[in-house]
Amino acid sequence: MAITRINIGPVHPSTHGVLRLVVDLDGDTIERVEPHVGFLHRGVEKLVETRMYMQSPPYMEKLDYIAPLSYDEAYVSAVEKALGVEVKERAQYARVILLELQRIASHLLAVGTMCNDLGQMFTVFMWAFKDRDMVLKLLEEAAGNRMFYVNMRLGGLLRELPPDFEMQTLDVIDYMERRIPEYERYIEGNPVFMERMKGVGVLSQKDARNLGVTGPVLRASGIEYDVRKNNPYYVYDKLHFSVKSLEKGDNFSRYRIRMMEMRESIRLIRDAFDKMPAAGDMLGMPVKLRSPAPVNKEVRVSRELPRGEALMHMVADQQKPYRLSIRSPSFINLAALPDIAKGYRLADLFSILGSLDLVMGCVDR
Amino acid sequence: MQINANSIANVNSLVGSGNLLYGIVGIVVYAIIVALMLSVFGYSFGWIERKIIARAQYRHGPTYVGKYGFLQNMADLVKLLSKREIALSKGDNFMVRVSVPLMLSLSVFIILLLPFSPWLQATNIGFGLLLIFVAIAFFPMLVFLTGFSTGNKFGDISAQRSVLMLLSYELPMIVVVITIALVTGSYNLQGIIAAQSSHWFVILMPIGFIVMFIAMLAEFERPPFDLREADSELIAGWLTDISAPYYALVLFLDYTRMFMGSLIIAILFLGGWMGPSFLPGIVWMIAKAVVVALFVIVVRATTFRMRIDRVLHLGWLVLIPLSLINLLITYIVLLWIA
Repeated sequence: MAITRINIGPVHPSTHGVLRLVVDLDGDTIERVEPHVGFLHRGVEKLVETRMYMQSPPYMEKLDYIAPLSYDEAYVSAVEKALGVEVKERAQYARVILLELQRIASHLLAVGTMCNDLGQMFTVFMWAFKDRDMVLKLLEEAAGNRMFYVNMRLGGLLRELPPDFEMQTLDVIDYMERRIPEYERYIEGNPVFMERMKGVGVLSQKDARNLGVTGPVLRASGIEYDVRKNNPYYVYDKLHFSVKSLEKGDNFSRYRIRMMEMRESIRLIRDAFDKMPAAGDMLGMPVKLRSPAPVNKEVRVSRELPRGEALMHMVADQQKPYRLSIRSPSFINLAALPDIAKGYRLADLFSILGSLDLVMGCVDR
Repeated sequence: MQINANSIANVNSLVGSGNLLYGIVGIVVYAIIVALMLSVFGYSFGWIERKIIARAQYRHGPTYVGKYGFLQNMADLVKLLSKREIALSKGDNFMVRVSVPLMLSLSVFIILLLPFSPWLQATNIGFGLLLIFVAIAFFPMLVFLTGFSTGNKFGDISAQRSVLMLLSYELPMIVVVITIALVTGSYNLQGIIAAQSSHWFVILMPIGFIVMFIAMLAEFERPPFDLREADSELIAGWLTDISAPYYALVLFLDYTRMFMGSLIIAILFLGGWMGPSFLPGIVWMIAKAVVVALFVIVVRATTFRMRIDRVLHLGWLVLIPLSLINLLITYIVLLWIA
């Protein structure tokens, strides 16, 4: 049969930004998918080389605009490791709490946009947006901004968490705990959804390992790998949570694993509030023009972002990074798309894309 | 199955006699009334749908233009109509220009055939039921032609989907229609309504009602069967290259067709214009159609889009057996009653 080549994007309702896909179709079956990236390339890695260490966090946050705080934290901890700055214990707990809140917000949006890609008329998306907003309010309380926080300072945070932050957060996560089963009941109760998600977009364990995907995509394929557990940072080794994994590696597992991780994040936040020391402060060093001289010349910092593992590889110079290389999880996960989508139908391409949960800012850097 | 020879004679006598002029004037006046009614319903349903879906999604919907945002759709319409048409360089402009108005006039034609009360109907022809389903079958064909003539690959895929869907749900729909004709013994719409005076057909054949409802959703591109304009996959499918003035017509057409489908379901299964006599027949008829249309909107707010192979699966392996079972059960029930 003749092959039809269609061009999807870069401006398309469900490519989550500016992703261009060239798809070869045999009838309705996908023969080949070729992602073209770079429409949102801003040269951040190069830009960082021209700025002082603590001038760069705002750029980092714009990489992943769905979970800005996570990238900010990854970069700042790379700088901390290079400059040999210790993070205060209370600040470590506070960072864990904020990061997990950010993870909940990001996963909620991932589920919402995935439902949009499946042709849901924005209903789950709007519910997720409303619930995500409660989390954003908490982060605003802590950082002062709604979207881009720039909250991390060397050795701690910009400021103390507000006095009633714990109470407010516990309220919100109690609400989330009631809310997540509601999402599940609604989404998984829909036969059309189950039909389109189960057994579609299967990424086998072997392929997942070979393609280097990370995060929920990897764990949905049956590999229990989570940087928080395998290579713990901050106080993650002192907190109770488990890394979930599912066997099938299809779209449904990737959706399901996000729901499970939200529950785990809720557990983590509760635990972190319980174990947080009352004494001490969490203030970091104020941003100064001159930072201390680097202790380590070359550092690698690996962090579990909502979308997967990010690796910050920095070669430190006196006041600026000599070179910063970012391994972005979305980019690697996108690279798995041609292998996943091959042989499925055109409509499945978008559900697979939705379940990978890409952020193009993170892909193109 | 007999054709009501009486009503055919009526039409013939109308055309043959000296009252032709009156007949034509009457039909034109009635057509204008129906078109006005359609506009009112199409417009208000545009607003009602936005409000209901907004409510399902924790939003307010339109609020600014007019009271409760009632004029928002008018503002959208004016905006779309004031834009220029962009002629296609590769596609067939003629087909695009013709097909959308043709679909609109087809829906007016179908509604002209529907009885709103014992006397409120353009012509009461004996095979009205068959005629409306023949006319309905033109919609997917026009979608197919428009999709292909836009010369766009998304339009092509949309056109192919349109034909596949036509193959999968038209058949069960016709089987249900035949069942109704079998029960009433006529293809006359007034006859079908009269046959429901003791019990509505939704009670006699609930399976048939479900099949018909699903087939109507598919016919008029309502979710979960909006595969032809699937916005998250095909951008807008056959509408991708339709320029603004025609797109305004398409938006209007959506609600017109929804209203038309609801009216047909109300006639075939919910007793048409019949109801307690303190209100005129047309009020009951429209009330029933509104209830069906509201249900269609709720379905839109909550469901996901089906995939084309699953639509074929549903059509051939679920709906056609169901409609045949419905035929069998109805036949047995009728025999038992007789």
